[in-house]
Amino acid sequence: MDSKTPEFVIEMLHITKEFPGIKANDDITLQLRKGEIHALLGENGAGKSTLMSVLFGLYQPDGGEIRKDGKAVQIRNPNDATALNIGMVHQHFKLIDVYTVLDNIILGAEDTRFGFLSKKKARAKVQALSERYGLKVDLDAKIEDITVGMQQRVEILKMLYRDNDILIFDEPTAVLTPQEIEELMKIMKGLAAEGKSILFITHKLAEIMAVADRCTVLRKGKGIGTVDIAGTTPQELSRMMVGRDVQLKVDKTPAVPGESVLSVRDLHIRSRLYHRDAVKGVSFDVRAGEIVCIAGIDGNGQTELVYGVTGLEKAAKGKITLQGKDITAAPIRQRSKAGMSHIPEDRHKHGLILDNTLEQNMVLQRYYEPRFQNCGFIRFDAVRTYAESLIEQYDVRSGQGPITTTRSMSGGNQQKAIIAREIDRDLPLIVAVQPTRGLDVGAIEYIHGQLVRQRDAGKAVLLVSLELDEVMNLSDRILVMYEGEIVGELDPRTTTVEELGLYMAGAKRQGKEAAEA
Amino acid sequence: MKKFSIGELYRKPGFKAVLASLISIVIGLLVGAIVILVSGLTSKGLGGKTAWEGIQLIFGGLFSTGRNASGALTFGFNPQLMGNMLFRAMPLIMTGLSVALAQKTGLFNIGAPGQYLMGTAATLLIALYLPTGTGEKLQYVSGAWATHMEALGIVGQTTYPAWLVWTLAFMGGVLAGALWGAIPGMLKALLNINEVLACIMTNWIAANLVTWVFDIANLKNIVENTKMGYIYKTTFNGVQTSKLGLDKLLPGSQVSGGILIAILFAILVYIVMNKTTFGYELKACGSNRFAARYAGIRDKRSIVVSMALAGALAGAGAALYYLAGNTEFYWETSQSLPAVGFNGIPVALLAANNPIGVIFSGLFMSMLEICGQKLKDLTAFNEYITDVIIAVIVYLSAFAMLIRMLLNKKKASKEALK
Repeated sequence: MDSKTPEFVIEMLHITKEFPGIKANDDITLQLRKGEIHALLGENGAGKSTLMSVLFGLYQPDGGEIRKDGKAVQIRNPNDATALNIGMVHQHFKLIDVYTVLDNIILGAEDTRFGFLSKKKARAKVQALSERYGLKVDLDAKIEDITVGMQQRVEILKMLYRDNDILIFDEPTAVLTPQEIEELMKIMKGLAAEGKSILFITHKLAEIMAVADRCTVLRKGKGIGTVDIAGTTPQELSRMMVGRDVQLKVDKTPAVPGESVLSVRDLHIRSRLYHRDAVKGVSFDVRAGEIVCIAGIDGNGQTELVYGVTGLEKAAKGKITLQGKDITAAPIRQRSKAGMSHIPEDRHKHGLILDNTLEQNMVLQRYYEPRFQNCGFIRFDAVRTYAESLIEQYDVRSGQGPITTTRSMSGGNQQKAIIAREIDRDLPLIVAVQPTRGLDVGAIEYIHGQLVRQRDAGKAVLLVSLELDEVMNLSDRILVMYEGEIVGELDPRTTTVEELGLYMAGAKRQGKEAAEA
Repeated sequence: MKKFSIGELYRKPGFKAVLASLISIVIGLLVGAIVILVSGLTSKGLGGKTAWEGIQLIFGGLFSTGRNASGALTFGFNPQLMGNMLFRAMPLIMTGLSVALAQKTGLFNIGAPGQYLMGTAATLLIALYLPTGTGEKLQYVSGAWATHMEALGIVGQTTYPAWLVWTLAFMGGVLAGALWGAIPGMLKALLNINEVLACIMTNWIAANLVTWVFDIANLKNIVENTKMGYIYKTTFNGVQTSKLGLDKLLPGSQVSGGILIAILFAILVYIVMNKTTFGYELKACGSNRFAARYAGIRDKRSIVVSMALAGALAGAGAALYYLAGNTEFYWETSQSLPAVGFNGIPVALLAANNPIGVIFSGLFMSMLEICGQKLKDLTAFNEYITDVIIAVIVYLSAFAMLIRMLLNKKKASKEALK
């Protein structure tokens, strides 16, 4: 290697990091070129975050070497990393909600004059940066008032303000809307063009294909290899990541729908946030043996619709029937007993009691059943056996099996635990809301497979999804929701993504069209 | 091999909690000792010797047997102090359980003093208004208490067996406490009002309500009015918790069977919270109200029930204390709340909210009270030193909890990174 103009700005050579009982990083090598976007791909728990924490000085590696511009460096803490111009945008932003954008950007690197804070120079610098890289922010807005996308731009500006030239993005798209993702991709390309080197941690293949130059793949703590994106395919990347061929398309036979299981008529739900109806007169049926998908852009009433159907929110008007039984006013427990299982949208808020153990969470919906209690006393042995069987059957991975605190589990496994719990109840209706959000391809494949299997077993599945791929792939019928109404019913086999998009954006609708015609 | 097993033990969360509490206790006692030493060495008339005596009493006051002829402190088994410790631990265990149960269900019950007061009022009213006897109409009997019964209008009424009156008075205390706990519970569940604020207000409502009730209830002790402003002891009406032979075991003390009832309650709370579906529901609600609702648990009802149970325990503590028969109630409470209610918080904290642990932390806190009393009786120091110790322990146990939380979080995030 030529020491005068080193090829790589950052090299992590043979990094090994061990935690009790697990080798999180096992001899991993990652080399970042100047001005490239380098993706770091791996399933949940593959060791991506550990590797980045090593680079950022949060962990000390047990073995291996880090080089900056060809010279070996020691990174003992994040301050060392900052001194080496390494910056990181964390998945969960580190911003102070009640401070303004400008205050957040300069926090920790403030200019002072005679001991007084001087923001004038800082403001000019941030403004210049914001224009140069097309990072539109309102410097005087408070963080709590701006969108998630803008908060992320603030995080990026924070790095740029500190003159960082190695930028780490830790799963930056997980919290963004599709439009914001597109914007971010553009920004990242702009940064790379200006000579910044970017490490992009993700498990979304499409994003890697769209922006990355090269990609290093990790699997179970080991480095599998680094590939040029130009010469690879999503299939190959996913094979490297998961270690086997992954079905990116869902394999399923046409649905054979039976009787109607869930029937919703003219349902109105009030929005808790705004004093208006979030769901305005929605009617639909879900029949046994079909997957009906509610598609739409986030915030068009899907959440409220699910709350209404599952009983988390009262219906203002309308009628909900489950297997011929009117459940419009029934409490949640009765709906559950009447045959509804629910994979909730927010697994941390609704799906799990994070501080409870896995086994306690596995019986969250059924602890009161005679199988798990005797005269009000919990049958701990039955709970344990049941949890163990679910863990094995659904391959839920955790540190200590049934007694693992669910908070310490990876997102994918938390979701698998919920899916296991809900599917194993073996009820005629499954309401699944964004069941694959934030999961890697392996887990997505698994969950899609499970839902299709349930459909084939004659269950009615009501799926709510924001991901177009999932909508097109998984559903047998698509209902598009726009501003609280169902504006179209589409057949995924005959429709196109473009047409679906028009309905989702409210540019097209079936009912009105027909009425007007 | 041995080292490994100690490590295993250390990894158990229960062991860590006990260890954290023990460390807090030791440091608290040491700080108390230092305070005594410093004040002893710096005060006129005191000195190293007095300070050393004070320190001895801080650590071993429970076993103090006074001074011998030569004026030196003597130590040994003191049945009276032992019995008094058990007696004073009784209400502390109950209010400790009250706070611990609420805490386990995600609620901070700072309303134990008010619930305790309401329990006191209900218990005393029932125990003193229902005349005891063998079922016949109450006859006029001589003496000042009898004059009183006439004024109350209970002469000529049917009498009831003492055990029945005891039971009714106890139940009354429990129910009054439960009601006083349920009020902040309902405000929380239905109107989302923070239970701490509501509890502070219900505390003072109780303090004034109880003063008002006893102001008009005509139960002020005019027989033994060496001390003014006290309500009759329940023994005047022949109502008293059975001693169950404990007074023979520990002669000269105030001990009664109530301590066994308190321990039974602790075991009961442990079983209900840890072994039953009911406890699972309450705890689920406390850990994540939304997930509990999602699972079909009635979260609002759970919150009210949790607070009512917490209140019932505090009320039961008051009932046990005043039904012991040898305790007097100072009825003008409008200016102050009973300390035993607030002390439930450190008792629960020290026990890391474990109902069984509450038995021991309750005993420990009452032992400290005894030590303080001995310190006052036998040396020039006053009993408030024990308040310093309790304060240090509370700070440290809160601190220990924080450290435990941080440790667990760090562990969790490490596991998440894997």
